Amino acid sequence: MLAKRIQPMVFQARRLYVELMFQVMGRALQAVSEIDSAVQKEARALPDGFLFEMMVMPDGSRLIVEHTGNGRFHYHGDSAPRPVDLSIQFKHIAHAFLVLSFQEKTSVAFANDRMLVDGDISYAIRMTRVLNRLETFILPKLVAKRAVKEYPSNLHLPEKLLSAARIYLKVATHFVETVRA
Amino acid sequence: MTNQYYEFFCPVKVIAGKAALEHIPYELTGLAAKRPMIVTDKGVRAAGLLDPVVAACEESGLEIISIYDDVPPDSSTDVVRDIAGIYRSEKCDSIIAVGGGSAIDTAKAVNILVSEGGDDIAAYSGAGVIKHPLKPFLVVPTTAGTGSEVTSVAVITDTTKSVKLPFTSSFLLPNAAVIDPRMTLTLPPHITAATAMDAMTHATEAFTCMAKNPLSDAYATAAVKKISTSLLQVMDNPKDSDGRLELAQASTMAGIAFSNSMVGLVHALGHATGAICHLPHGLCMSLYLPYVLEYNLESIRAPLGELLLYLEGPDVYSATPASRRAEASISALRKLRDELHKRCKLPRTLKETGSVEEHQLDTIAEMAMDDGAMMFNPKEVSLEDARAVLKRAWA
Repeated sequence: MLAKRIQPMVFQARRLYVELMFQVMGRALQAVSEIDSAVQKEARALPDGFLFEMMVMPDGSRLIVEHTGNGRFHYHGDSAPRPVDLSIQFKHIAHAFLVLSFQEKTSVAFANDRMLVDGDISYAIRMTRVLNRLETFILPKLVAKRAVKEYPSNLHLPEKLLSAARIYLKVATHFVETVRA
Repeated sequence: MTNQYYEFFCPVKVIAGKAALEHIPYELTGLAAKRPMIVTDKGVRAAGLLDPVVAACEESGLEIISIYDDVPPDSSTDVVRDIAGIYRSEKCDSIIAVGGGSAIDTAKAVNILVSEGGDDIAAYSGAGVIKHPLKPFLVVPTTAGTGSEVTSVAVITDTTKSVKLPFTSSFLLPNAAVIDPRMTLTLPPHITAATAMDAMTHATEAFTCMAKNPLSDAYATAAVKKISTSLLQVMDNPKDSDGRLELAQASTMAGIAFSNSMVGLVHALGHATGAICHLPHGLCMSLYLPYVLEYNLESIRAPLGELLLYLEGPDVYSATPASRRAEASISALRKLRDELHKRCKLPRTLKETGSVEEHQLDTIAEMAMDDGAMMFNPKEVSLEDARAVLKRAWA
């Protein structure tokens, strides 16, 4: 009985969590592309103006980033200025929650058919590498190990902490700017 | 409770064995089809493989309305449009693909155009674009390796943009796959070996990569067992129709396995090598398989060790300590490749192919990094890792 009463609140909390995580990830993607040369190298292979979307089907939360050129991403929030070039779509919000709460690795979610790719698969692979790189920076090692297929052995603590601090600072600044605007 | 989850789908009716071709008229009639078109290539026609298919239909009073026998090895959007035009002008109502991967993929694409309408096949490229069942479609494979008869994917080259267009939809799957040993009886030894190793790789990667699941495992292990048992027998006695049927069934089973659990680094490297050096796909698979298994070893020790039972049989499996079974599986595959090299000079290294230059390895590695199969490899692969595997496979 109690569980039935709580259920709507749990669903609402899950929806809010996924929405918040998309907002953080979108801003963090922009931030990591400004500070990390490996991410910039990956992103340079994308066409200028390339729009990437990550969303929950059928019409749930989403994040949209654009490759503005020279390996830099720009976060557009949840609305795209034109049709997106690549969309990674979670089939259900429960699947998005599993991935964004680090209970299921992104690669495992793909393997488990939790997500669909609409667009060029090679760009999807590239964007997954960028997301993995971002997660290894911004998450504590123990959590990051649950999020990525393999935690990079050459990422040492000082580099991780410094990069994470710079990314979080940029994300916080962006949040403040959004609120002010 | 774990997070384990999987999906498995294969609605293709498999018609396999002696006189399987003679079931084609019955199957088409059951689908209300009366005017079939055959899509094939010149090699199949020259080998006389079309004759038993046509004879089986005519004997039952089913007239083949049109035969298109000019599918190139790397099919294009132009070819698909041309065939669709013939299909419409001849008022055909169904398609029979007779051939290997290219003929089957072309027929799948033609089926999209003639069912959905239009002349621009590129408009249907991507995943999930097709929303309705297509025209009745039968596949008669003439090689035992690709497994295309049970996969929901087709790849067609867009000649104007010089890109490969992928088409993915469960509606691409044929209504039936007809596996008749007569169709593979005349395959030359090197193609028999390469295509069988393609199927072996499909099964091995299906069993060891990230999307493995209990149902695909069952198909994969059965395929490995059939290939291990029959391949060398067929190489020594090409007219062994029972052995040929075993290989053809193994190919279909491996196709069902990998289309439901995907493949990994062997395919990523193989796709890139095929695109850059124009090596046959099956040859690339045979070439890279042991090197990739060695690279993945610590991530796949348990399933790879289990494969030893199907590669070498129960006696070797039980005599091998559990801790050494994974290595023994790789050794068994190396031994099989050595035997094939002895019999038909199937290359075991990139150098032995004579078609790859050492300076191309970096380009192959870079292209492989963006291949979709990379996602399902059980171990994360960096560019340096891919280069290292290629160096080991070089000589």
